[in-house]
Order: sequence, then structure tokens, then C-alpha cells
Amino acid sequence: MLIEGNTNFLVKKTTYKVVLPFYMYAALSFLTATIFLFFFSSSFVQHYFHPHILAITHIMALGWGTMIILGASHQLVPVFIEGKLYSIKLAYFSFVLAAVGIPLLVYGFYSYNMGWPAKWGGRIIFLAIFSYLVNLSVSFIKSRKVNVHACFILTAACWLFITITFGLVLVYNHSISILSLKSLEYIPLHAHTGIIGWFLLLIIGVGSRLIPMFLISKYTNTTLLWIIYAMINGSLLTFIIFFWYSIEIVFYIIPVLSILSSLILFAYYCYCSFKQRVRKQLDEQMKVSLLSVIMMLLPLILLLALIWMMILDTFDSQLFLAYGFIIFFGWITAIIFGMTFKTLPFIVWLKVYHMLVGRVRPPSPRVLFNGNVYNVMGIFYLTGFALFIIGLFMKSIYFLKPGSLFLIVAALLYNWNVIKVLLHKPVLS
Amino acid sequence: MSIITNDRIKCDKAISVLKYVLDPEIGLNVIDLGLIYHINFDETNGNKIYILMTLTVPYCPMSESITSDIKSVLENTFTNSTVIVELTFDPPWSSEFISKEGNYFLNQ
Repeated sequence: MLIEGNTNFLVKKTTYKVVLPFYMYAALSFLTATIFLFFFSSSFVQHYFHPHILAITHIMALGWGTMIILGASHQLVPVFIEGKLYSIKLAYFSFVLAAVGIPLLVYGFYSYNMGWPAKWGGRIIFLAIFSYLVNLSVSFIKSRKVNVHACFILTAACWLFITITFGLVLVYNHSISILSLKSLEYIPLHAHTGIIGWFLLLIIGVGSRLIPMFLISKYTNTTLLWIIYAMINGSLLTFIIFFWYSIEIVFYIIPVLSILSSLILFAYYCYCSFKQRVRKQLDEQMKVSLLSVIMMLLPLILLLALIWMMILDTFDSQLFLAYGFIIFFGWITAIIFGMTFKTLPFIVWLKVYHMLVGRVRPPSPRVLFNGNVYNVMGIFYLTGFALFIIGLFMKSIYFLKPGSLFLIVAALLYNWNVIKVLLHKPVLS
Repeated sequence: MSIITNDRIKCDKAISVLKYVLDPEIGLNVIDLGLIYHINFDETNGNKIYILMTLTVPYCPMSESITSDIKSVLENTFTNSTVIVELTFDPPWSSEFISKEGNYFLNQ
């Protein structure tokens, strides 16, 4: 149906066909990661550089976190840049390459074979992210609209590309001596460019736009967001310089405190949006999303404790493991749980009812998933998360096993709801 | 926010049907949300209805669905009319535009 008149402000939607596979892949990856967590729980009472832990970390970081963010960002880019995605073909290309590359890389870590599986996995993922970066960059250049949210997203994509490239170098460094030290020594650098540069920057960039939008909030503060942007990037660059020049560990407190300050500022931004919201009633997805903002602070407190311990020249492997677990299974998972059911039902709703709008009364997008199942999933998730954390600190398999079992149930319920949304058939009244 | 029109009687009829057009995410209709600025009728030029409206945010993902719905319900009500929907962000939408009924709905 054509709308005449000024249609400049109509969103140029990215086809659902390219977005939905990312969501499905991510959901299956999360289930796989929780199953691995159950079967390899005993690895979590050993050193953090364990093949099984590396495999689970990469399933979570790439298969779960990155894949769902790539899917959502292909859908949301037109909203952020006020234009359209440059190439659907490149988006498909990114998906296919990442979908093939991730299992290869994970298998490489699982079997600790840094030969062809890890190398080919790394190469293919590198190409997938390069395609994503090109697609995003050209979309931004063509739109010619500069806003703080778009800058967050593009910068995050650049950090992702740097993380993946450096990861590939680390894989090669096992067989060819490229770097001066062993790959293991560079893990903090590789991990933090990914966690801070990719995940944190992107989640804040997207969250700062979506949270006020979903709350219908009157609050806007672009200056504050630019300050947060500068602080995060500045902290990460400082960390990289300190790491590269082997600066004394005590100085690492500077970038950590700077990140902590930026997170407090972002929490303040969310609080102001929340206080000035027009829509008083919060749905469960928004509650979980806001909870994840608080969960961002937990790993940083642990990181400060880790730095303190390193200054005192003591080492606790469990604290490292808890730090990583809270980031991937806590903060990132919570925000994905919240945002999946704020975005996915709308993408499917538009797909199913697009041609019927105006002729029939479609149901609300929120009925596309089961709210009760979502709530039960939340209970299993929080219980499993708490049990696993206790198990990590106590080095007890009696907490790790039940904790991972609860997380498997949460992952199954999440998958059930995702499949329910994806298979939705038109309900007409 | 009051809607500007050149035919109050027809406009009231249009408003009554536009109350069935919902923003799917918010669950509130476009009238109570204050999205509609002008409804003008032109009978001299082939029965045209001009709608000047806004969105809660530019490039709202639901924009196409809302504008298609508006066009459809008005063309069903005013048969033999062509509806032309124009989007504007001057002035941009503000939560102050939400009606008393709309605010009551959102505060429930």
C-alpha cells in the first residue's frame, strides 16, 4: 500500500529474512553453552585457561552475544542512522560466514587444536566481521546523519573488528612466533577490547536510544552520552597502552575507575529516563533490561578486587572465572533476555501482519510470546546464575552442576519462546 | 492537542475511526497519542483527505504499519476518497500531546 505525501521519515526496514537466522542461531548457541557448562562443570575448578572454558567463552561471546547483536543491529541500523542498510547481501554473507566459522573455532578450542579448525574458524569469522563493518560503515556514510547513538555503534563495530583480528593473530601465534610473548599472556587484552570496546560500547549506544523510546521518556541528554563515549574509549585506549608497555599493575586502576564512572553515568541516564517516563507500567522485558544495567557494575567491582590481589601478588583463579562468568552469563545474557522479547516479536509481527494492516485487527506484538514461560525462565535463570557463582567461589561441583542444570532449563524455555515467536501464524479478528 | 481541520463534522467522523488505529508497541490509538496534527478534506480535487501527522520518534519501526492503517480505515469510512498521509517533525512529537484519556491508559 503506497502512502503519498512526505514519506521521508518512514523507516527503511531491513528484511526479516536476514535478521531472524541470527536470532535463532544465538538461541541455539546459548543452549549449547549451558549444556557444555553442565558436562564440563569440573573444568571450572581448574585454571581459567582450560580448553573447555575457552570453548564455552567463545560460544557465549560469538555464538550468543555477537550473533544476536549482529541480527538486532541489522534491523535497528535504519532507526539509528535514519537511513537504510547498505547491503542485504553483505548481511547474509556475514551470517553464513559467522555461522560456519564459530563452530570451527569452538571445536579448535574444545580439542585444543590450534591447527586448521581454529585457523579456518578464525579466518572465516574475520571475513564475517569485515563484511559487517563494511556494511555498517557504508550505511553510515550514505545516511550522512551523525548522532551519538550511531557513533557508539560504528565505534563498537571497529573494536569488534580489532578484537577478531587480534584473536586470529593469537591463534597463529601458537604455531608461528608473531608476538613476543605466548598467546595466553595477551588474553586480557583480547578479552577487554571485546568486552569494553564491542559489548559495552554497543549496549550503551543501543540502550541509550531504546530504553527512553520504550519507556516513552521525556529525558534526553546527548552531552552526557558523548562524555560516556569519550570515557569508555579513553579508558580502553589507556588500558591497551598500559598493557603493551607493561606498566605497573597499580596504574590499571585508572582505566577501571574511569569505566566504573562511565557506567555510573549511564545508570544515572537510565534512572532519569525511568523517572521521566510517561508509560508508568513496566513489562517484564524492560525490568530485566534495567536489571542488566545494575549487573554491569558487578564485574567491575570484581575487577577492582582482582587488581588489588595482583598488587598484593596473590592470584585467585576462581575470581577470574567468576569475573568472566558474570560478564557473559550475567550482564550480557540478562540484557539479551530483556531485549530479545522487545525486538523479536515486532520483527515477526511486521512480517506476519504487514500485508494485513488496515484490513484486519492484528493482535498486539507482545502476545506473540508466552509471558508465563518468560517469567519461569527468569526464575530458572537467576537461580542457576546464583548457584553457579556460589559453586565457583566454593570450588564445589555440588553447586556448579545444579546451577548449570537450572541454566539449561532457562535456555530451553528461552528457545521455546523464540521458536513460538518465529512460527507465529496470523490470528485475525 | 487539538487537530486542525477545514471541516469539523467530517473531522469528528475521521477521529472516531482513527481511534481504532493503534501504535502496536504502546497499545494506544493515534488520536490519544497526539500523532495527528491536521485532517483536511478537498472535495474539489477528486475527494482527497490530507492527513498531516507525526511519529513518536523519527524512523519509528512501526511507522509503515501505522500510516497504512490510517489510510485504510479512512478510505473504508470515506468511500471514493483518496487519503494522503504526510509525515512531519515540525513540531516534533512530545509526551505533552498525549490526551487525558491517553495518560490515564499509560498510567494504569
